[in-house]
Amino acid sequence: MDDAEQRGGLIIAGVAQLGRALREAGAPVGPSRIQDAVEALGCVALMNRDEVYWALRCTLTSRHEDIEAFDAAFRRLVEQPSPADDIDLNPGANPKPETTPPPEAPAQPQDSALGETELQEPDRDEEPEQVEAGMRWSAVERLRELDFAHYTDEELQRAARLMQRVARAVPLRRSRRYRSAAEGRAVDTRRTLRQAMRTGGYPLARQWRAPRLKPRRLVFVVDVSGSMQPYARAMIMFLQASVRAGRRVEAFTLGTRLTRVTRELEARDPDRALRAATRVVRDWAGGTRIGENLHALNERWGRMGITRGAVVVIVSDGWERGEIASLVTEMQRLQRAAHTVVWVNPLAGEPGYEPLAQGMAASLPYIDRFLPGHNLRSFETLAEVFEALPAGRRTQPPGRRTQPPGRTQPFR
Amino acid sequence: MTSQGRLSAPELAEALREHAYLADAGLATVLSVALALRKPLLLEGESGVGKTEAAKALAAVLDTTLIRLQCYEGIDVSHALYDWNYARQMLYIRTLEAADAAVPGAVADVFGPDFIVRRPLLEAIDGDHQRPPVLLIDEIDRADDEFEAFLLELLSDFQVTIPEVGTIRARERPIVVLTSNRTRELHDALRRRCLFHWIGYPSIQREVEIVRAQLPDAPARLAAEVAQFVADLRTAGLEKTPGVAETLDWVQALCSLGEDALTPQAAATTLGAVLKSHEDLEHVHEDGIEQRVQRAKAAAPATDG
Repeated sequence: MDDAEQRGGLIIAGVAQLGRALREAGAPVGPSRIQDAVEALGCVALMNRDEVYWALRCTLTSRHEDIEAFDAAFRRLVEQPSPADDIDLNPGANPKPETTPPPEAPAQPQDSALGETELQEPDRDEEPEQVEAGMRWSAVERLRELDFAHYTDEELQRAARLMQRVARAVPLRRSRRYRSAAEGRAVDTRRTLRQAMRTGGYPLARQWRAPRLKPRRLVFVVDVSGSMQPYARAMIMFLQASVRAGRRVEAFTLGTRLTRVTRELEARDPDRALRAATRVVRDWAGGTRIGENLHALNERWGRMGITRGAVVVIVSDGWERGEIASLVTEMQRLQRAAHTVVWVNPLAGEPGYEPLAQGMAASLPYIDRFLPGHNLRSFETLAEVFEALPAGRRTQPPGRRTQPPGRTQPFR
Repeated sequence: MTSQGRLSAPELAEALREHAYLADAGLATVLSVALALRKPLLLEGESGVGKTEAAKALAAVLDTTLIRLQCYEGIDVSHALYDWNYARQMLYIRTLEAADAAVPGAVADVFGPDFIVRRPLLEAIDGDHQRPPVLLIDEIDRADDEFEAFLLELLSDFQVTIPEVGTIRARERPIVVLTSNRTRELHDALRRRCLFHWIGYPSIQREVEIVRAQLPDAPARLAAEVAQFVADLRTAGLEKTPGVAETLDWVQALCSLGEDALTPQAAATTLGAVLKSHEDLEHVHEDGIEQRVQRAKAAAPATDG
């Protein structure tokens, strides 16, 4: 009796230890899971290590990413390798490590002043004039037109406030859910019949349904290689403002490799997001392997459906260091999955710009909208493009454009 | 909960095998735990690894009904739970009118159980079953947040409220299996209510066994070579990695051509059973089908057939 009690205590202690290890690894393990695990152990053969492993795994983990941490903790507990004999080839399986910036990430010198920037929660009722209060009109105008490359840190801070207004813009899509509407194409049978009860069972007035509109997913891919640095900073601030405005935005940075920074954008600290984004090795003055990065996007995230039906915005100067052919393949693939592909090129703001960079020229036929992105005014244009996109299907089927998209210039 | 009716993991694996479903020790244990704890089980994994089949086989083993709810974006209560039979309601009203019959409680009748169209979830909770049914909520990741929230409520209490009728509670909890392809991150609250199991691609030997169990007429050598070929494809970085379902399709296709071993010609003509995108086909053709077939033949596990 004493023995059994002791063993029971050991089991509970072991399960609790596993739970603690998983929590430390960021897996959500609450008391109810611990209880489930103990109960699960009650219905397997305790002498069979494999059964114990599976019983604990199915109760203590809840997502594929947690399995690694569980295996490690379990191994520590029993000091034997795990019995998972299945080959797990899932290529896009482990998105976690990429999103956490290593603690030793060096602070970029130009970020230091940004650290004090406190982005205000944008107030929906606030008039634009109030947002810009404290700045003279001419100063605002100047800021709008000024190339991000010439911004001082203080100006960038002020720009952040202006961005909040623009950042609320979002493309919409038709949801498969319906709402009742004054006019529509489908009859709302339920409501029609309910109404009919009031008129003696005669459905005199028909009620209608129309598709509800939902925000379309926005996927930003921001080039953070050397030459793009000043623009990338501004773009990340814009993205953060979007997230703060309650927009669902997926963000990736394009550098030596593709990094997902969506989680960092949700943090209150714009500096952290920026640092995570710019943590790439800056060994080249300009240019990156865009094709390779887009391949990672398509392969890993596209498969999970992140780009499907989304508006994908690529922010880059189009300076391709890798193979042009692979860039074209990936652009095609991206275009097929996405609803709209927008390319924002900071260089396009310069008068007389021609898409001469090879990567840019090669990508152009697979882009739906091509915009400059060198100043605040061009962000406003981006917002206008978002709002003008159709909620239904894309206007043009995917495929190589014979007529490349004209540059959408900022409205003057 | 009666303990004598409980299946241990090895017993369950054996029973599943009798229904031509080969579960590894992991899945068998997890299923047996899910049955014992009466908790919903969330199965995740790449497409084509047999998530849906697991639920079907489980229903067969328990000799009970399988109720399947296929999720999609915009699925709502009237598709998943219940709807009113509007045509019948109208007809009833008209009949009463024509008969000039003022039946007391007619209005209550019209919104009574007779006029409800029962959808899968209501069927699972309130159906007339001898044993608790297996409720398969397939591809939950395709439904949207709103539906997930609704499901959450259902999975915790197993009761639903229909305003016109009242609250209906499950006499016996159904056995719930949810599947997800991870096209969307599921809500933590939903995960918390479920046991979780990740189904990976099977090992080569197991895949051969699966093919042999599902297609007993297929030649052993063909099965082994195809399984090896597909296993190699899975490491080739394709757009769409083939699952076990594709392996089965391919073996079947080759069988129908009367092949009893993999040949480059036959492979080339039937590769569409495995690779479903133009880019992937091109990729494999570039590599050279012949070499791939040779490699697969060399590496394929030995068979006694």
